[in-house]
Amino acid sequence: MQKTLLSLVAITLLCSAETTEIEQLKTRVDTLEKALKTQKDQALDEKIKNAMGSIGSFTQTDSLPDIAFIANMSALGRNVDNEAYAGYQIPGFTTQPSKQPFNPKRGFNLNYGELEIQSTVDPYFDVTSALHIEKDGLHIGELYVMTRALPYGLRLKTGKFRSEFGRINSHHQHTWNFSNIPLVFESFFGAGGLADEGIQLHYTAPTDTFIQAGFEAMQGSNSRSFGDTDKNTLSIGYLKSSVDITDMTSLLAGASWLHGKSNEGDSDIYGGDLTLKHIFDSYSSLTWQSELLYRDKETTDINQKQAGLYSELTYAHDKNWATGVRYDTLFKNIDNQPDDLNRYTAMLEYRPFVFSKIRLQYTNDRSKWIGGERKDTHEIMLDLTIAAGAHGAHAF
Amino acid sequence: MKKILLITLLFSSTLFAKLNVATTYNYLAKITEAIGGDKVKVTCLANPKLDPHFVTPKPSLIGKLRREDLLIINGGQLEIGWLPPLLKSANNAKINVGQPGFLDVSGVIEMMDKPHIVSRAYGGVHPDGNPHFALDIYSVIPIAKLITLKLSIIDGANSATYRANLKVFEEKIEKLTQTLKTQMQSCPNRKVVQYHELFNYTIKSYNIESKGTIEPLPGITPSSKHTMKLINIMKTEGIKTILQDAYHEHKTAGFIADKTGAKVSIVPHDVGSIDGTDTLEDFYTMVAKRLCP
Repeated sequence: MQKTLLSLVAITLLCSAETTEIEQLKTRVDTLEKALKTQKDQALDEKIKNAMGSIGSFTQTDSLPDIAFIANMSALGRNVDNEAYAGYQIPGFTTQPSKQPFNPKRGFNLNYGELEIQSTVDPYFDVTSALHIEKDGLHIGELYVMTRALPYGLRLKTGKFRSEFGRINSHHQHTWNFSNIPLVFESFFGAGGLADEGIQLHYTAPTDTFIQAGFEAMQGSNSRSFGDTDKNTLSIGYLKSSVDITDMTSLLAGASWLHGKSNEGDSDIYGGDLTLKHIFDSYSSLTWQSELLYRDKETTDINQKQAGLYSELTYAHDKNWATGVRYDTLFKNIDNQPDDLNRYTAMLEYRPFVFSKIRLQYTNDRSKWIGGERKDTHEIMLDLTIAAGAHGAHAF
Repeated sequence: MKKILLITLLFSSTLFAKLNVATTYNYLAKITEAIGGDKVKVTCLANPKLDPHFVTPKPSLIGKLRREDLLIINGGQLEIGWLPPLLKSANNAKINVGQPGFLDVSGVIEMMDKPHIVSRAYGGVHPDGNPHFALDIYSVIPIAKLITLKLSIIDGANSATYRANLKVFEEKIEKLTQTLKTQMQSCPNRKVVQYHELFNYTIKSYNIESKGTIEPLPGITPSSKHTMKLINIMKTEGIKTILQDAYHEHKTAGFIADKTGAKVSIVPHDVGSIDGTDTLEDFYTMVAKRLCP
């Protein structure tokens, strides 16, 4: 009996202890809930206050395209006065003096400012443009739209663009190792190279060996080799392939073909290019790049068969210093015209940082006829190129 | 016969293959291999012995990118100087930025050294913060989890395998992390200087402080004026360790060591960047060892 009584007392005591504990917990939960609610209310108040000044809905600054500004200028000395130089000809290749886009004068030259605008348009297209700001106005260097979602490694490009014909042609002046275009390209396409309105179909093969091929249909407005632009008259095909000989040595080779119409008849140009690049470390490399072009141009009386090549060797010593030499020659010409039109170029380049370069270039040019005779031209130039803003990386 | 050869050449890598994954750097390749196991074929694009900022955009890399199902990058703009033109040239719609076949792992990292002012006047500053988190062992598991999730999304049929592989991998890395942590606690060196701000994540994890860089500004070649300033800092602070990467010139570090009596320690920046770092475990062990020479 006593035992039962004792246990009853014990149970009652325990229960009351539990009840107090539960009540305490309840109070704590209530306090926490209240605190949480206050916090939420405060956050909402804050949100409402901030929303009063909200202007974000119509700003699109996050979707701005990448904009870069590239500029090139030089100081130049030459043993030919400016007026005489402006009228030079390359016998058998050019009959009219033509505009020199880069470094025409002795003294100071502001060659161009280039506004490069690039953006992804939507899931299906990218757009790229290079607008040249020159002293006589704004020129569209390139403006093209490219697909980004075609299957099977295919890509379409349309607008105005630099042709993938050969190796150097698709590269912009600011990426060249020397300040002027190779002589053979100047002779066949003019000092600006081959850039035209048209469409390009480009294919990359899914193979261990790099293989790219493409076809371009263009207007053919380049009057050096074509010029009949009543409809699109220029067709271009190219094939590029590359292998890594070792982990540090790559070989890139390409073959290109082009068929166009001029007012006098058809033109065919065949191109072959070879680039061998060896890297010593992250910043030092040796590059040997050569291209050979052969032109078969129909005229009213005979077919003109002409050819030329350039070969350049450049050595990058470190992040800052590079040097190089280039040999240019037009070695096949039409009858009664010289076939020893040569040019020799050497350069030393200093890059304070990746976005600027200062180049000292010496040129001995034996390809130009001035006043009806060959003029042995010597030229020394200090050239500055900068790329500011959102400028994309360069290809191989 | 020729035809058969050509067809084999063309399709060998696309038809019968496992999931093709390319990674920009080697540590990502090793993590992906650990998670993917025999279900994936991993290709690493950059040569780990060279500067990760300046990878030569070899055309062969374009061919590789063309046939991948997934591209995994470090991000934080470490690849901005070499990858975009390769990607554009590869015409592989699957791995374009924003597609399911593209993965930037910097999203799982809390980025350090995010600049308040972004201007090229300060050299090659990464606007999103320091992208060299690969050297920090504490980055490995978050990245591995992210890669597991991505592989499971792209290749749902094998997601159980990926998750199982992750579990094994996680245990291994956690064990190594603990070992290295204990080991580094006894390191007497608490102050260092470094060539480039390459080691900030890993030294922070081990409570080591960087008091300066040999580069006057990120990506800018050392100048004598800045070097003299750094020597003075080292003398006043009593700094005895210069952390040098494998790919920059070692001359300046050697000169500073001569003047200050400090030791130059070459710290690997990626798996395979120096001898004896061919696995993730060896790499992080070597990093810890070289931080405390």
